[in-house]
Amino acid sequence: MSITNIQILEGSIVENEIHMTITELCHATNAAEEHVIAWVYEGILNPTGHSPDDWRFSGDSLQRALQALRLSRDLEINTPGVAMVLELLDEIARLQK
Amino acid sequence: MKFKDYYEALGVARTATDDEIKVAYRKLARKYHPDVSKLADAEDRFKEIGEAYAVLKDPEKRAAYDQVGSQAKHGQDFTPPPNWDAGFEFSGSGFDPNSADQSEFFEALFGRHARGRQNQNMNAKGQDHHAKVMIDLSDAYHGAKRSISLQMPSHDVQGRVVMQERKLDIAIPKGIHAGQHLRLRGQGGPGVGTGPAGDLYLEISFKPNASFRIEGRDVYMDLPITPWEAALGATVNVPTPSGSVELKIPQGSNSGRKLRLKGRGIPGLTPGDLYVVTTITIPPAESEQEKEAYRAMAKAFDFNPRANMKVSS
Repeated sequence: MSITNIQILEGSIVENEIHMTITELCHATNAAEEHVIAWVYEGILNPTGHSPDDWRFSGDSLQRALQALRLSRDLEINTPGVAMVLELLDEIARLQK
Repeated sequence: MKFKDYYEALGVARTATDDEIKVAYRKLARKYHPDVSKLADAEDRFKEIGEAYAVLKDPEKRAAYDQVGSQAKHGQDFTPPPNWDAGFEFSGSGFDPNSADQSEFFEALFGRHARGRQNQNMNAKGQDHHAKVMIDLSDAYHGAKRSISLQMPSHDVQGRVVMQERKLDIAIPKGIHAGQHLRLRGQGGPGVGTGPAGDLYLEISFKPNASFRIEGRDVYMDLPITPWEAALGATVNVPTPSGSVELKIPQGSNSGRKLRLKGRGIPGLTPGDLYVVTTITIPPAESEQEKEAYRAMAKAFDFNPRANMKVSS
């Protein structure tokens, strides 16, 4: 086991400060572009812009996309199913407030 | 190393068919999926059943597992017999690239699998990595410099996967809260060819704290008060995460009253609120003088807290 040491790193809070292109979002989540496109057309992700090339995803999309990816992979749910699960989870969180 | 009973993990018999295994896995996966379940041990349970399913759904791995596991019991000390896997050929990786948390038991049997996809391009950005880090609530209030240490799989010169410890000194920005991600540019996997390094995403959570509960940007704390402070009102000193404040307790405050200190939750563009929840704490009646004080109260009040209860005789 080796130990590497480096200087103090400043990061950005993804949810507050970052907007991502589809390429960046796919890279960050390891999701395929066709999945991200399908999630947008299903309303799971809501980027600004009119076509995949000029879509800009808000920082919240990172968490949302990771959740969608895990649900579809671990529970083998299709895209409309993932959208429904996420909506129900939002609803539960809202009711619990 | 302890033996893991994968059949027990999925709650199926050793003779279960592939379909029975699949149904059992699906049911448990829905129950314990960390994105869905609110159970405290959901994540660990989900990893356990995921690992069990990865072995039992694959006829080759299941046969190999049955071979070594026919005598062993769950939780028993276990060492794989030498050359136990001779005669088994595992086709391809076939593993979920994201299941990086296989148990020691699993790795001893099936080896550790490298994560992630391969980039096809000659020059490409390195992989983005993800890790979870726990911070103190006070770090979110004030910002802080912290040293964190991460375990990262990497390849040694022979191409084997080894765990490498990496120490990072990071600045925790004021105002970050649980569930948010901190992106560190260029701290992910190395680039391919002339491509830049990937980024490192740190998912933030708070260390458990006995004094404060955190919901998004809002923070809750219990404040013990005396019966006379509750009844008559008082100004008391409250140690909040952002420093001491003088808080006015309105007269007639019962236990469980929520007093909101606007903007004293986790800071940010829209800062959260701090909720102080009153808890009336009664002093013990030990000396004669203290007992007399309670008796005087009993005489002074015509008060029955059970007046609205229907008492069955």
